Amino acid sequence: MSLLKRCVAEIIGTFLLVFFGAGAAAITLMLASGVETQTEFNIGIGYFGGLADWLAIGLAFGIAIAGAIYALGRISGAHINPAVTIALWASKRFPTGEVAPYIIAQLIGASLASILFFACTGPEAVLIGGLGATAPFHGISYTEAILVEAIGTFLLMLVIMGVAVDKRAPEGFAGLIIGLTVAGVITTTGNIAGSSLNPARTFGPYLGNTLLGGSNLWEFFPIYIIGPIAGALIAVFLYDWLNSE
Amino acid sequence: MKCYICAEEGKDSDAVAICIVCGMGLCREHAMREETESWEGGYPFPARKLKKSIPRILCPACYEAFHS
Repeated sequence: MSLLKRCVAEIIGTFLLVFFGAGAAAITLMLASGVETQTEFNIGIGYFGGLADWLAIGLAFGIAIAGAIYALGRISGAHINPAVTIALWASKRFPTGEVAPYIIAQLIGASLASILFFACTGPEAVLIGGLGATAPFHGISYTEAILVEAIGTFLLMLVIMGVAVDKRAPEGFAGLIIGLTVAGVITTTGNIAGSSLNPARTFGPYLGNTLLGGSNLWEFFPIYIIGPIAGALIAVFLYDWLNSE
Repeated sequence: MKCYICAEEGKDSDAVAICIVCGMGLCREHAMREETESWEGGYPFPARKLKKSIPRILCPACYEAFHS
């Protein structure tokens, strides 16, 4: 399979993740638009059903991720996440020369998703939904946000190692289990820092907001680079160490 | 083992292969060999087509059923 075809697969996979996942967060905010929430910690997601709102968003992400893995996993590997690509490269499982093309493809896919989500839903998707962009919630510091993103991505990468990379893993379950893991992580940590777990997932909505007149959130972008990459790297090396003779 | 198809035609010929689907003994004339490509890998790595394909031997009836 040529690198071009694999990059196209990464674009499509990341597009699906951001369109349906971040899109679900934007729609929830649009549904809750105008309601009075009890605390600043509640921005509207959680108004209808508490953690169930986050579970619904998490499942939207999880199902899109599972679909992308089953549909595109054989073509590109369906990383759809720069943190996963970097962790696989750092553990010598992915060629150096293909890291940059994969990451660029993932960023393109995420950006296209945000722009097309706006095209489907109109200005409120940006002005109210923020295109599902992630940012630390009220009272959450920069460091706390990095930490929670690292812990969430640690679990994600650990599961990828256990159910997909490890040759002893049972076949056919990777997409389902990884999707459900993401849904679970988002349910718990979504209301802390957005539970991005993925620099591309944050990049797309940030770029969309910049281009389409939304909020400028770029000051938070390092959170979603440092946290996910650190978490994924720790997971991959820890998994290898745990499994070494 | 004898070739089943030849035996049906009243001929007597030794089988040199067995159909992998129905188990029929086949002489050289009736054995249909085709190459099956095989892949390794998959999520989270791109699947890779192996250089060597895997041969598969079928009888004419099973071959026809597979390609119909």
